[in-house]
Amino acid sequence: MKFSKVDGAGLRALQFDPEQIKSMIEHVAHFLPAQGPITAFVHHNTLHAFQSDRFKEALKKGQAVFGAEPFWPESRFRKELEGGRILNSDIEYALQEVLGETADENIDGFGKRIQIRNAILHHAIYTASQSELEWFIAESNALKAFRQDAPTAIVDRMVSDTQHWLMRDLLNQSDSTSSDHNCLADASRLKEFVDRAKRGKPHQWQPVAWKKFTLTFLWEVCRHGVSLVPLRQSQYEKRRRLRDLLLCETDLDIDEWVNSLLIKFSSAFLDQGFAHWSLPARDRGFWKCFLDVYTNSLGPAETWRRGLDAELQQLKSNQTTSIEVIAQFLNRSGVTEDEAEEWMMRQLLVLRGFAGMVHQVETRGDRVFQSIPPGTLIDFLAVRLLLSDHAERYVLKEILGWNVDPVDARKRLEALHPTPPQLTDDQRAFLVFQLAQVLGWNPQVLVKLSVDEWSALLGELESFDEFERRHVFQLAFEHHYANQTLHALSVHNAGKRIGESEKTSKTRPKFQIVCCIDDREESFRRHLEEVEPRCETFGMAGFFAVVMYFKGVAEAHFLPLCPVIIKPQHFVREEAVYSLQKQENLNRKRREQLGRFSRGFHLGSRTLTGGWLGTTLLGALATIPLVARVLAPRATAKLRERFSGLIRPPAATELQLERVADPPGSENGHVGFSVNEMANCVQRTLEDIGLTKDFSRLVVIVGHGSSSLNNPHESAYNCGACAGARGGPNARAFAQMANDMRVRDLLRERGIAIPTDTCFVGSYHNTCDDGFSLFDLDRVPSSHRDLLEETISIIEVARARNAHERCRRFQSADLTMTADSALRHVEGRSQDLSQARPEYNHATNALCFVGRREWSRGLFLDRRAFLTSYDPRIDDENNKILTRILQAAVPVCAGISLEYYFSTVDNEGYGCGNKLPHNITSMLGVMTGAESDLRPGLSAQMVEIHEPMRLMFVIESTPKALTSIIESNPGIKEFVAGDWVQLVCFEPEKNLLHRYADGKFKLLNTDSESLPIARYSADWYRGWRDHLAFAQVTAGYETIPTSSNT
Amino acid sequence: MEFIVSFLGIAVITAPAILLTSIALPSLFGIRLQEQSINRLTSSSVLIGFISAILMLIIMLATGSRNVPIDLGDWIVLPATELNESPFHFHLKVVFDRLSVPFVILTFLLCGTIGLFASKYLHREIGYLRFFVAFAIFNLGMIVASVSGTIEMLFFGWELVGLSSAILIAYFHERKSPVTSGFRVWCIYRFADAAFLIAAIAMHHMTGHGEFSALIGQGNWPEGVAQLSSWQAFWIGSLLLFAAAGKSALVPFCGWLPRAMEGPTPSSAIFYGALSVHLGAFLLLRVGPIIDCSLLLAISVILIGAVSAIYGTIVGRVQSDVKTALSFASLTQVGIIVAVIGFAGIAGGMGWSTLAIGLRYFALIHILGHAMLRTLQLLRAPTLLRDYHALDNALGAHIPNEDSRFKKLVGDRMYRFALERGYLDTVIDRWVVQPFVIVASTCNRLEQGWLNLLSGRRRDTQKPVIDSKRKDG
Repeated sequence: MKFSKVDGAGLRALQFDPEQIKSMIEHVAHFLPAQGPITAFVHHNTLHAFQSDRFKEALKKGQAVFGAEPFWPESRFRKELEGGRILNSDIEYALQEVLGETADENIDGFGKRIQIRNAILHHAIYTASQSELEWFIAESNALKAFRQDAPTAIVDRMVSDTQHWLMRDLLNQSDSTSSDHNCLADASRLKEFVDRAKRGKPHQWQPVAWKKFTLTFLWEVCRHGVSLVPLRQSQYEKRRRLRDLLLCETDLDIDEWVNSLLIKFSSAFLDQGFAHWSLPARDRGFWKCFLDVYTNSLGPAETWRRGLDAELQQLKSNQTTSIEVIAQFLNRSGVTEDEAEEWMMRQLLVLRGFAGMVHQVETRGDRVFQSIPPGTLIDFLAVRLLLSDHAERYVLKEILGWNVDPVDARKRLEALHPTPPQLTDDQRAFLVFQLAQVLGWNPQVLVKLSVDEWSALLGELESFDEFERRHVFQLAFEHHYANQTLHALSVHNAGKRIGESEKTSKTRPKFQIVCCIDDREESFRRHLEEVEPRCETFGMAGFFAVVMYFKGVAEAHFLPLCPVIIKPQHFVREEAVYSLQKQENLNRKRREQLGRFSRGFHLGSRTLTGGWLGTTLLGALATIPLVARVLAPRATAKLRERFSGLIRPPAATELQLERVADPPGSENGHVGFSVNEMANCVQRTLEDIGLTKDFSRLVVIVGHGSSSLNNPHESAYNCGACAGARGGPNARAFAQMANDMRVRDLLRERGIAIPTDTCFVGSYHNTCDDGFSLFDLDRVPSSHRDLLEETISIIEVARARNAHERCRRFQSADLTMTADSALRHVEGRSQDLSQARPEYNHATNALCFVGRREWSRGLFLDRRAFLTSYDPRIDDENNKILTRILQAAVPVCAGISLEYYFSTVDNEGYGCGNKLPHNITSMLGVMTGAESDLRPGLSAQMVEIHEPMRLMFVIESTPKALTSIIESNPGIKEFVAGDWVQLVCFEPEKNLLHRYADGKFKLLNTDSESLPIARYSADWYRGWRDHLAFAQVTAGYETIPTSSNT
Repeated sequence: MEFIVSFLGIAVITAPAILLTSIALPSLFGIRLQEQSINRLTSSSVLIGFISAILMLIIMLATGSRNVPIDLGDWIVLPATELNESPFHFHLKVVFDRLSVPFVILTFLLCGTIGLFASKYLHREIGYLRFFVAFAIFNLGMIVASVSGTIEMLFFGWELVGLSSAILIAYFHERKSPVTSGFRVWCIYRFADAAFLIAAIAMHHMTGHGEFSALIGQGNWPEGVAQLSSWQAFWIGSLLLFAAAGKSALVPFCGWLPRAMEGPTPSSAIFYGALSVHLGAFLLLRVGPIIDCSLLLAISVILIGAVSAIYGTIVGRVQSDVKTALSFASLTQVGIIVAVIGFAGIAGGMGWSTLAIGLRYFALIHILGHAMLRTLQLLRAPTLLRDYHALDNALGAHIPNEDSRFKKLVGDRMYRFALERGYLDTVIDRWVVQPFVIVASTCNRLEQGWLNLLSGRRRDTQKPVIDSKRKDG
């Protein structure tokens, strides 16, 4: 065998033992994408690997490790600067923030640091590859004309100063030892350049020639200056793999070969039942299975794989384990113990999508149909190493004809292909050259700089590199929006007396509605309040504290409906009501028959004989759905709905909610909650949202989800608090619990008195087509029918208006459409096979408000805010309620915000790229095109209107309370103290805002300019596609508020 | 009546031609068409073509006419010289018969539907116009190939389809693999097209011009009788079979079909589920009478078809991603269609003309049904997870695929064969591409050496010359 030779020679004494390797791989696995199967899409921080670092540091590491962009490109920020979404004051603020006390330091003769950086940010500084730059200097106008954005005054002064200097100080001064001559003495190139100019009769030059001379001279001076100062080495030096070196040498990419094989095998191994034939002996594990399959050839493999079968056969007969193989490679590769982990990480990151999915499936076997044994990631790495090694040796031996072992080959190749510098001298000089033009640094001043001065200048410029510039832009962009938000809050609450209404007798609200905290429900709630100012709305994480596995009447599996970190104990089943059970049994049989037929047809159409019969006999019938669904998606869906009567699940169902036997389980009798457990659920939710008194007669609980076609990411559009599922059943279960008199009795003992005339109703909001359905209406007492009818009609209006507001963001929706046509439009979207953007999901999310609705009601938040209800008045002195709200809200909302952030700033690197060529693989994820790595993250179509900014929490509390919560909850502290989210504490009674930074809360001053005022939301957003600022919408109040300045 | 018929016939062929010029030309003059205008142009011209084709069908049914040739005259005529004893005509002739009319209607129907689909699906794409230009080229190519009455015209349409196919596979050209896949498909197309061209020239040599009617007799499709000797038929037929195999991804060219899934979903659906992949079968149907003449040829057709079908079904069974699985499923059916055409040839050769005719109709119906169903399946491919979930719900449980008897029969050894896609790509790379590259690079080296010798330069031995073709491994 090939390795034994190396081993036998005893080249390296270093040994890695299996346990050590295992723990290293365990650690490396944290760098892999943590997205599980796409059918239960849970948003999470894409850079979770570096979550213990601070945000900025993590971005840098992410850039180094994943090669992905940390921010929007500078050009995009500059566009926002032009468009007024970033102001000069924001940039100054951000610079001050970043630089702190060093902002006002003077950089010898060039001004204060903050001024220089400010100027740099206002001018586009270009960089290019060395060859492009050479071309640009030689062929373009770079040395003939100043930059377009160079101020005329500066240009004129620079040209005339240079002219003076050449004519006065150099040409007409006899003393050749003067400083002006001296500074040229060391630089032979410069001297030659000036001498040539002197000989060229400069006194006869035209202005154009002087301009050209000035620029050329400036360029030469910059190049000279740069050559004096060596480049600082980057902090994150990437060790190249042998593959990278071979790619330089031969243009052959080993990764492509290895990936192609490994992708085919891994997806076959992970397959959840799509392929007709499963991998033989799959249960023996990845490694053994691989050895089995690939020692069994029936034909010629690719050239690079010659001899692989024999090698594998050897491993198989020696019964070598995967970890031994890794140990051998580690020992051979010549990496030290410190490097070993990084070395393995680089190997795994090549196919990070598959490696990550392998890790997810091996650790969360409960979330898939076909689990795989633990340790599969180790097998995966072993196979990857084996294949790369084989390919490397092939290239070395067969292509290059070198008869050396990989370690020596590596040395030889490193000598042949030294790491290119991060920036060439020309690139560095070009930076100074551009800045000098816009900031007016005269060449004759630069030329006199000493080496130390050059060093200081370049150090200053190079430390403000692209990353730093974009970071400042990012801060400025976030600051601008944060400022607007806080200003809006402050103005909005200036005239109001929050809490005052308590003292006066409050009229009973017409109805109360509890939605998910989801940013998509913000607009729905706002429209509800506008249609019926006498209603109250609340926000609560959409599982409503009902943690359960749920199985619908027409469903096959129990689905967990709760946040992904919780594992439910309780099971709930939906069943047909007793009188409909016979009918349902019949329908179920029909569904089963139809299912059997369509499964047979579906599978058969891909086989030989089945496909032959199917396509010949029935193929032509496919024309009807094909043409109809494309031409008229909405009408086709309606028609299908009408004809599905015979198989439809029953119209009336009930939940098996109450448990009669312990312990909870999925069997009969064990299904459901005990009365006490129900009371706990209800109590928790009511306390969280602060609804413990003043109940209205009708309380509607709204779960949400989304339904769309041709969308592998459909689950990502569902409720995040229900682990990427639809939250309707939770709302329904909650309403049923809260209506139970025994539960109410228990609650009364605990201090929550629900009046007997209060009725809870569960419902479901489809955020894609804005459909709204209510559950168990038969149980609503007849005394409440009128109120119910009225509420439903209000919801009808509100959902149409909500659809209308959403449509302003869809380019394919006319800006002039009415609310009703908007509703039809979104209904069509959700039924359209060709629609790549059924809805925009959480795109544009930027805020999370935690507190009473009173202070955000009537503020147009543009569907950008998560709204969590919380009433500090009923919280205890330990802030128990706020703590548990934040324990859930911070990770969940931050996860959504950060996933959107990263998928937006680098859609290829962190997101899953363009949706159009996506290809579902192994029923676990998507590949791009015919064969690629699995792509976690969000697609370009999902994030195209998103603005990457860190979520800002505005929490109604006191700085003291928040500080103690942060300090005692590491899960929250990590996000807050690590700058992964922004945090503001709001005291609405005093209208005070405190901003959290570096462990402290700082009181903010907000100016009191007024906000735009509109009667209805539509009056404000109508006719506008892009971002909209805040406004006060007065229709949402019972009485029109008096704003401070109006 | 004759005027109406020729008007309709010309409308069928000019509608896609006008579409192509109207959306491709403006961009050459720097005019950027809006999404909406591209859509309007596409749908209106496809609709005009579709209605004309339907009217044509109605007239043909009403008058009982089964063959409507529309002569567009000779476009190039080379007089007979001593060297070539017969004169050369480049003759444009459009034929509407029972083969071309269904194909034309199918093409317009699918192009219209997919065009509408793509207009939403590709909304806001940077390459929107590029997609629709390639789509228009494809539409024109399909129509020209379907209605062509001469082999030159068929070749012209055939080439347009190949060109648009390669462009659309490489649609996402910012990534590497679509471009290499597109290039690979293009190479295989060129290779197969060379055979087609030789066949066309051979036909000219034998009959003096490229009209199918002269070659395959005056009978209406599918009843023609070719006036060729058995060997003539075999050689021409083999070349055409080769060309058809390249276009329809039959053995040994199957490897490109899954790679073609790199493009956007709608183009993958219409090309490799529906139209382009059936073009090879269409060619064989068109020249059916030639297959009648040679038993050997008919057997080859059957063999290639049957082997492709079996290959497709075996390889397709292990694929775990939806688009690749569908592409092999497509191949399986195309293989069967081709095999049926071969059987029709045997039947024709035996003189059982009713059976031969029946089999040809059967193949045609199979093509139409398969095209529609597979297009729908490919378009719905991203809905797979939802569909499986719905199936689970209907059946009340998750039902894993059981290992079929077929699998037990062929054993696990076939699994590797299938996973490696039957080694076909490797075979082509190793036994065709590599020798070709070696010959070419040897010539290159010789020429370099000769040039260096002449120019007195020293040979540059620094860096080994790696041929780009070998990158595929």
